[in-house]
Amino acid sequence: MTDESRELLSGTLEMLVLKTLALEPMHGWGIAHRIEQMSSSVFFVAQGSLYPALLRMKRRGWVKTSWQTTENNRRARYYELTPAGQKQLDAERASWDRAARAIDAIMNAKLSLGDA
Amino acid sequence: MSILSDLVVRLQTLIFRRREERELDEELRTHLEMEAEHRRKLGQIESEARRDSLVRFGGLERVKDEVRDARGTRLLDNVAADISFTIRTLLARPGFSLVAILTLAIGIGGTTAVYSAVDAVLLQPLPYQQPGQLVRLFQNGVRFPNDRGFVTPVHFLAYRDLSSFQAAAATYTYADIGADIGIGDRARKIRTLPTSADYFDVVRVHPEIGTAFQREDETGAAIVVLSHKLWEDEFKGDASVVGKALTMNGKPYTIAGVMPSGFSDPVSGSVDAWLPVDLAPGRDASNADNHYITVLARLRPGVPLARAQAELDALSLSLAKQYPDAKDIRARIYSLKEEMVGSSRRALEIMLGAVGLVLLLVCVNVANLLLVRGSERSGEFALRSALGADRSRLVRQMLIESLTLALAGAAAGLVVTRLAMSGIVALGAGNIPRLATLSLDVRLLAFSFGIATLSAVAFGLAPALRAARTQPGDVLRDVSRSATGGASVLRTREWLVISQVALAFVLVVGAGLLISSFARMRHLDLGVKSENVLTFELALPPARYDSIARGRFYDDFPREIEAIPGVRAAGAISHLPATGGFHTWGVRPLTGKFANNPQVAGSAQQRVIAGDYFRAVGIPLLRGRLFDQTDTPDGPRHVVVSKLFADRLYPGADAIGQRFETGGREVEIVGVVGDVALDNEGHPGPTVYHAHRQFSRREWLLEQIIAVDGPITAVQQRVRQAIVQRDGQLVMYKPRTLDEAIGVAAAQRVFTLRILSTFAALALGLAALGLFGVLSYGVRLRSRELSIRMALGAEGGAIRRLIMRRGLLVTGVGLVIGLVGATTLSRLMSSVLFQVSPFDPSVLAGAMVVMTIIGSAAAYLPARRATAADPVATLR
Repeated sequence: MTDESRELLSGTLEMLVLKTLALEPMHGWGIAHRIEQMSSSVFFVAQGSLYPALLRMKRRGWVKTSWQTTENNRRARYYELTPAGQKQLDAERASWDRAARAIDAIMNAKLSLGDA
Repeated sequence: MSILSDLVVRLQTLIFRRREERELDEELRTHLEMEAEHRRKLGQIESEARRDSLVRFGGLERVKDEVRDARGTRLLDNVAADISFTIRTLLARPGFSLVAILTLAIGIGGTTAVYSAVDAVLLQPLPYQQPGQLVRLFQNGVRFPNDRGFVTPVHFLAYRDLSSFQAAAATYTYADIGADIGIGDRARKIRTLPTSADYFDVVRVHPEIGTAFQREDETGAAIVVLSHKLWEDEFKGDASVVGKALTMNGKPYTIAGVMPSGFSDPVSGSVDAWLPVDLAPGRDASNADNHYITVLARLRPGVPLARAQAELDALSLSLAKQYPDAKDIRARIYSLKEEMVGSSRRALEIMLGAVGLVLLLVCVNVANLLLVRGSERSGEFALRSALGADRSRLVRQMLIESLTLALAGAAAGLVVTRLAMSGIVALGAGNIPRLATLSLDVRLLAFSFGIATLSAVAFGLAPALRAARTQPGDVLRDVSRSATGGASVLRTREWLVISQVALAFVLVVGAGLLISSFARMRHLDLGVKSENVLTFELALPPARYDSIARGRFYDDFPREIEAIPGVRAAGAISHLPATGGFHTWGVRPLTGKFANNPQVAGSAQQRVIAGDYFRAVGIPLLRGRLFDQTDTPDGPRHVVVSKLFADRLYPGADAIGQRFETGGREVEIVGVVGDVALDNEGHPGPTVYHAHRQFSRREWLLEQIIAVDGPITAVQQRVRQAIVQRDGQLVMYKPRTLDEAIGVAAAQRVFTLRILSTFAALALGLAALGLFGVLSYGVRLRSRELSIRMALGAEGGAIRRLIMRRGLLVTGVGLVIGLVGATTLSRLMSSVLFQVSPFDPSVLAGAMVVMTIIGSAAAYLPARRATAADPVATLR
């Protein structure tokens, strides 16, 4: 929304969707909106990748879908995390943490005398 | 789990495609509305909120398309589109599609059906346990090792104790032996087979109820084993039938057992009842030269045929010392399977070759069709390729087109197979051993289908691959401007047509040779006049007819029949003429040049006759006299011999009055008659005719023969009445014309012939189709060039000649190649040909003329069409 808002880091969309759904079952727009909100509008979700990603996750059995009514009395497809999806979220989370720590370590590295 | 959910999603997509699309649409629209609502809440005005959310969304259709991609069914969607496109394209060219499908159907169907027949008759095992151990034993004279004669009961008793044999059985098969059962309206004739006790061990099938015979029963004991069918028909499947009586020919037989259903004799086929054979004659040395027994044996496990034969040879030598009357008799064993199919083998092998050629022809034809089609469409492919179509997609589409054609061809082929198979069974029913077991073999169908599909795919794909390789621009330029079309394509196709002509020529020559064999056989002089002759059997129950009554009956009955208006002559004989060899006895001349010369002892066909047999079948008397009233039962034994017999035993001398010994009887020749063919191929055999009334002990079953002026059916009814008047319990069994009786033996040749000529007609049709296809295609490719020529003043006739010359050239090259193939192949056929050389010039010339006519027609029609068109219209 803001000028600085940008697309997600590649490969993180599925993890973020899983995380969002871990909080509560949600429809497509809600997922996109929630991710933007939670990232303080740093990221925005392209619809062209959200819906295909949701379908792929459904094919892998991470989420299941059902048609429900929203608080505004609209029919919408809700996505819900399955136990397999929860396991996947945990796994991605662990690997993300490892990667983030590693990147952090690199970015904070200082030249040590011995390596010169 | 994830595999499962994946499958569920994909299947849902495939099955509920419309619902999935609707839901996707609804989901995305809801998304847009939520976004717009959100923006309104943030203070944007309605129209702006809508526009911004759409912009933000990035295009509804694009998102939908990406979701569709994610479904993982994209390839299938495309394939489905290709298939529906294919069907539309194929329907747009019904001529091409129909010809291609029909070609495939005939190829797949015809070859599968014929191959199944070959398989059923030749390749499938006999329906007995360990059929490889089963052998049939034949006797032969020492100088005629390839003869296959019946066995004497004396020798059989010695043979059956050979250590190589696990069991050996004697059956009495040389005539259809029947018995009358039932009385009044239920009276009917059943087929019986006298067998020795070990028969059931040889075939390894034993009665399912009761027991079989013991060796003690081999005296013609009055016991019987029923077939399953007779048991059901006559005793309603009564399980307590053993010990009850079945009355046959007026005499009660005790039922010993019932055979399992489906069992049939390896030699005689279906039999209603088995009786113990009477082997008592085997203990009488005077029967050592009396051949009438069929011998089947089962080799001990692991004993090869050669070892059994060696043992048999040793035994034959010692038997020859033991029985001076039969010192020239030897014996050979043959694998039963080979013996049973032996006569059909050659014919079936030739059929198999014909099938292979037709299949090849089909492949060439399909290849031709698809190549035409592919070249025709090279412009279309180039255009689509230039417009951005994926080349793999073009190739895939051609693949799908070829496969669709192949599948449709296979489906139609299945129908053709079914039809052809019932046709083959109907054609060969009863005459070709084991043809009744014919069933569709899925492997065979898969084989033909595979071959046809392979050629369809290969030749369908070739043009698409070429199109994918070439620069579309080049082709498009070429298509719009070129006048002559690709010369290389034409050359490939012309070679295909040449091979087609060659293959068809070989088939036509083969069929022609067989047809002319058959024609010669029909016009063969068998030595008898078989037109308008009625034959039937009349079994005289021994209980009411002793040998005297029997003799009187056979003498009186023909005279009564001759009193019926329309009957020319009536008589009877122990075996109908020209229906194969039968009873042979050794012959030892007592007078003349070879009197008592052991080197000349040979054997001759023996026939027992009554009434006016010779006149009834039109055998001419050449010298001396026929039998008459002076040949009394007690008088000197007189015989009439055939000319061949007289010439062989008494060369250069008058045969009348000569004496010889045969079958333990001393006989004198009173007459010489014309030769009669032993089989329907006209081979004569030396024959001795005896008068029935001069036999006192032997019970002969004579076949009645009645020569008629005019139609047989009218007389047949009167004959029936005459039988009933004489004895109300007698049954006219197997009434048929002599033509039919002789023709049955020719059935196998007719069978082969019909199938081969059908195949030849098929090949001819396929070749004509192919020839026509290539020539008309060539003309179409050159239509611009031809139009230019005509516009520039060339005459239609000149152009027609140009095209005709091309067509005849192709045909001519094909014929020359075919001639080489035909002379090679027809040499293999010489064994089934009859009085026709494999290089018969009239057949070869005829086949050439036929092929040339077809080639000319196939060239002329497109030539006429090419010159009939308005050149200006074509050029525009």
